[in-house]
Amino acid sequence: MHSTHVNGERKAPSKRDILRIAKEREVRYVRLSFVDILGIGKNVTIPVGELESALEGKVTFDGGSIDGFVRGEEADMMLLPDLATFAVYPWTAGSENVEARLICDIATPDGEPFEGCPRTTLRRALEDAGDVMAAVRAGLEIEFYLFDLDADGAPTVRTSDVGSYFDSDESDRGEAARLDIAKSLEAMGLSVASAHHEHGAGQHEVDLNEGPLLATADALLTTRTVAKHVAARHRLHATFMPKPLETCAGSGVHVYFTTSAPGDGAAADEAGELTEETLFAIGGLLEHAPAFTAVCNPTVNSYKRLVAAWDAPIYTAWSYRSANALVRVPSPQGGVQRIEVRSADASCNPYLAMAVLVASIAHGMRHHLLPGDPLLGSTYDLNDRERDSRRIRMLPKSLRQALAELDTDVVVRGALGDHVYHAFRDAKLEEYERYRRAVHPWEREAYLRVY
Amino acid sequence: MIDETLTSPDALVAFAEGLAKIASSGGGAKALATHLAGALNAAVLVEDGEWRHVALAGSGTRSMPPSIRDLVAGALPNPDGFVRLELPGEPHDALALRIRGGDAPLGWLSIFSNGGGLASRQGAIRLAAAAIAVELSRDAGGGKNRRKSFWDRLLSRSYDDPIEAKDDASSRGIALATGYVAVALEAEGLEEPSAAAKFGDLRRIALETLRAGSGEIVVLERGGGFVFLCPAPLEVDAQNVRTAATLIPRAATKAHFGLKVVGGVGRSATAIEAYKTVDEARESMFIARRLFGGSRVMPYDDLGIYPLLLRGGATSEELRAFGQRVLAPLRAYDEKHQTELVRTLRLYFDVGQNVKTAAAELSVHRHTVFYRLRQIAEISGYDLDSAHDQLTLRTAMAIDALNPR
Repeated sequence: MHSTHVNGERKAPSKRDILRIAKEREVRYVRLSFVDILGIGKNVTIPVGELESALEGKVTFDGGSIDGFVRGEEADMMLLPDLATFAVYPWTAGSENVEARLICDIATPDGEPFEGCPRTTLRRALEDAGDVMAAVRAGLEIEFYLFDLDADGAPTVRTSDVGSYFDSDESDRGEAARLDIAKSLEAMGLSVASAHHEHGAGQHEVDLNEGPLLATADALLTTRTVAKHVAARHRLHATFMPKPLETCAGSGVHVYFTTSAPGDGAAADEAGELTEETLFAIGGLLEHAPAFTAVCNPTVNSYKRLVAAWDAPIYTAWSYRSANALVRVPSPQGGVQRIEVRSADASCNPYLAMAVLVASIAHGMRHHLLPGDPLLGSTYDLNDRERDSRRIRMLPKSLRQALAELDTDVVVRGALGDHVYHAFRDAKLEEYERYRRAVHPWEREAYLRVY
Repeated sequence: MIDETLTSPDALVAFAEGLAKIASSGGGAKALATHLAGALNAAVLVEDGEWRHVALAGSGTRSMPPSIRDLVAGALPNPDGFVRLELPGEPHDALALRIRGGDAPLGWLSIFSNGGGLASRQGAIRLAAAAIAVELSRDAGGGKNRRKSFWDRLLSRSYDDPIEAKDDASSRGIALATGYVAVALEAEGLEEPSAAAKFGDLRRIALETLRAGSGEIVVLERGGGFVFLCPAPLEVDAQNVRTAATLIPRAATKAHFGLKVVGGVGRSATAIEAYKTVDEARESMFIARRLFGGSRVMPYDDLGIYPLLLRGGATSEELRAFGQRVLAPLRAYDEKHQTELVRTLRLYFDVGQNVKTAAAELSVHRHTVFYRLRQIAEISGYDLDSAHDQLTLRTAMAIDALNPR
């Protein structure tokens, strides 16, 4: 992301540019990054001498060893680097082992796009939605906790920080780590809008400005990686686990969509009324929310966050002001109207999550789905009658329920494609089954003495 | 003046093409009659086989009967099928032509000329009759006519009993929704030559925009426009019909250069009371045109006191209901959150909308008053900077004060 400093407005450098920058910055190793279907970051590290060959797409890896990829003899997969994503890891700069990374698409041995590649899945979803969503961009608010490490360097759930929203304490290690995270993201070419303390003690947030949708998905992956590396250097552990502490706020990712570029005023008309595109986008999001939840909130733990507390969304409702609506439409800033989707969390696969959100919005735009009137006040106050009359549904309460919703929604399933849908579903059903069989400490506490 | 060129083959072809274009864009009998009336400078009346009024188009200074039923009774058509209508005291031509679908009589097309010369334009009249025949036979052929007459009966309040209405509906293959919202629309400033085509466009654009909801939309031609009766079983459906209706003018502008639309949206009503939502939609359209300058579709709910002023002679019951409806969201909020929004609003008006004075009277900081005013606007849905909305809120306050709960 060396070519520009605006989030995603990245004109890809040429291969020659990359080789030159690598030499100038004395890069020794390059990580070829990709994600598996579950969204876990993977990489193949190559010495810089192999960079030219890697840029030609000649590096292969054993796909059979990656969850949800391929089986048997089809195992050798090719890594096709996206040149626009080249960036030097700032914390390695000046050291003996300067590292850079390139985010890659995965191709089959004969060079065809691999249908199990999440980044390719998003590319396809963007192509499918291109007729209605060419101008749509997205920004992110990403929440995470910074916890202390124990004497052995293992993460704890303790924090020495006692701050809350926007607090500032110079002696706080979390504060210093967060600043470093923001600096590193900027150095890698991301456009950081702000970074601040969040609600919970030890909880922080980094906000990224709007950019093209693929770049925004890359940015979530980058932020997760950078936060962990930088936090470790401050002897802290950055976790994006959706709900690490039962009694504290969970960590989500709020995705902001804009349906127009700054200045063209298309998202809100002269009277400040929302345009039909914005309304249809909201309509599409609410329609498909129960199904896209499985993808945007894909862990067992995600559903401990989606409860009626700490402003987590639990209903398919939208509002201008309510902080606990699934979709919130904040006041326009600089003539740009944003739509905020508030349910996702950073345990998601950024590419698959963006793909299902995009498909939902595009479906709303194509089929003119209207979202009803915005809700006033807290969604937690809704009673059954109000929910029924507004056709407001509950978001799934468990991963199992979410997967059942996913099964019934052809639009969301279609955005994933058959290969990803089946691989994702199988993996998640197995994860849920493991969780279901586990005996949790809560159960012992509740039952051991009583029965 | 009659268009002299209408007698030439080229003019007839152009006229026929105009008819075909209207029919293909779903213009209906009314639009076809308008096209003929414009070409002949005459008034045109269409009645169906049972002497029901189908369409009236064009205008003139001459008198004309509401139906030609009595005029053609016993009259013998001349060999080419036309009947000359004799109207006392009228010097100009009046002709009637039976509309036929094959051999079956489907109705009558009658033309009341403002300048004479109809005899030489019989070709154009025949073409129009043939096009209208297609429309009428389409209506009579399926259940559409039976369905249409059900809605006519329902809206003329012919059913006393909801069960009777429901039974009659189901016998005609109509599944009644539990609620309906009416949208009334008219195209503004139509010039005669393109009026019919634009009329068809309006119908198509409106249906496309309103179709976002669920169920079959009933389309009724009323006056110079349409009423769309949209199924709205739930509150959210009514909300979406309202929103979709307000998007129609923009969709019309996008789709058809120069097509301006005015309209109104009624509140949700049960099927048996569908006439209420239709009346409200038409009243809202009238108010949108007269008070808000047209080119927009306005929901009844957003018009505040104006519908009551339009009706004139509102009962004290209606006034009280209006006051309660306007203030109800604020009252509910106050009750739930122990706030003072209604009191703040009353005081704000009482002190001539001076925030500083209001703050002093309420013993709060003026920022608090600003905050409350923003809350009031959001919760009530009325904009305190709008003179129209202020009138509504002030009237509601006055009615409320005069009629203690």
